[in-house]
Amino acid sequence: MPDIKNIIAARAARELKDGQVINLGIGIPTLVANHMPPGVDVVIHSENGAVGVGPAPEPLCGDPDRGNAGGAPITLIAGGSYFDSATSFGMIRGGHVDMTFLGTLQVDGEGNIASYEIPGKLVAGMGGAMDLLAGAKTVNVVTEHCSKDGASKLVKKCTFPLTGAGEADVIITERAVFRRYPGKGFVLEEVARGYTLDDIAACTDMDYVVSDTVQLEAFGPEPGE
Amino acid sequence: MPKNKVVSLDEAMSHIESGMTVAIGGFLSQGDPLTLIHGLKDTDVEDLTIISCTGGFRDRGIVELVNAGKVRRLIASHIGTTPDVVKAYHAGELEVELVPQGTLAEQMRAGGAGLGGFLTPTGLGTVVAEGKQQLQVNGKTYLLEKALRADVALVRAHDGDTWGNLRYRGTAGNYNPLCAACADYTIAEVEYLYCPGEIAPESVHTPGLYVKAVVRADLYYRGSSLSAC
Repeated sequence: MPDIKNIIAARAARELKDGQVINLGIGIPTLVANHMPPGVDVVIHSENGAVGVGPAPEPLCGDPDRGNAGGAPITLIAGGSYFDSATSFGMIRGGHVDMTFLGTLQVDGEGNIASYEIPGKLVAGMGGAMDLLAGAKTVNVVTEHCSKDGASKLVKKCTFPLTGAGEADVIITERAVFRRYPGKGFVLEEVARGYTLDDIAACTDMDYVVSDTVQLEAFGPEPGE
Repeated sequence: MPKNKVVSLDEAMSHIESGMTVAIGGFLSQGDPLTLIHGLKDTDVEDLTIISCTGGFRDRGIVELVNAGKVRRLIASHIGTTPDVVKAYHAGELEVELVPQGTLAEQMRAGGAGLGGFLTPTGLGTVVAEGKQQLQVNGKTYLLEKALRADVALVRAHDGDTWGNLRYRGTAGNYNPLCAACADYTIAEVEYLYCPGEIAPESVHTPGLYVKAVVRADLYYRGSSLSAC
């Protein structure tokens, strides 16, 4: 059984460029840090007031005053720093964070993202996601293609409350990669091993066009995995 | 010599009255002023409006005040880590206003800095923008968000001196300094207490002029249960 979450994270990590400052959301986005491509050195910003986040500490050896946006203990690399939340979100809205990776409940063809609330079911709060979508230069949505009940998370039109309107730039799932271009909407650029163009069409409710240069078998589990 | 503001927990709590708005520092239990939260829980005040980034973590933090029936309204960014807060909200026992995290931080900063509000792109096209004024500046659209002030702030610092100069540690310094500045009466609990001058002036994060009372922190309650050593 392929490890879907790490397949998505590994493909997402290929979006990174050397020298960038990036922010990773909770869940699959956190795994992106484990798949840094060779020669790519990035600095990780955590919206709750840290930049230069390093590897997680050994279990039960965390520092109670040093945590990430999910409350889990962190370490800092040499050169990292801590700051208050007004400064941290000033960095985000001020365009000083190059890329953010976040999961979602729904994303649609206009780049709308709904990631924080299922009305009547899940009420948690948007946390820092709205600021990250509004402020980060590039927004990468990293998500399983379908929800547990099999419905496409890439929807015709978001029905849950929006976290950001028109903010998604790239969508990376275990099956495909879509990139949004002005005036064109989302373009299907890559299909993962084990899927065909028809498979993607069948599990994607979102409007998209297929790139003339779409890459098949672009990523995903190696044969035999 | 600046005034010595060190007081007992009871004396500090006597400044909090029913119906007040209380800003509380900390983030998912990193830097939560648990000594003061527990002190407030033991008073008979109620009908409080709490401003805090989160509801706490699991059963610790703001959630303890909610469970004690002291909170009428919570202004926060994320309550998903405290199931009891979500439950109280669904049961209609607690009003919750959810605010984007960066907007909440800036609302406190603006409140503490004497500003009426600020313009932000965060929340445009979402429910956050409903009923709020939008303005165009240099061709870009922004949302007008109003500043937040509190009657009392409860904060925790790693180091503090008797005048109330505070120095935070790690990410525990994310919301505490903002809370400390946005209230009329700020109470700080400190883990290590110093004489004025012992904290290097250039490493003071919250100057003592923001702080009205200093309380010794109960060192038993510290940080996240996820990171216990």
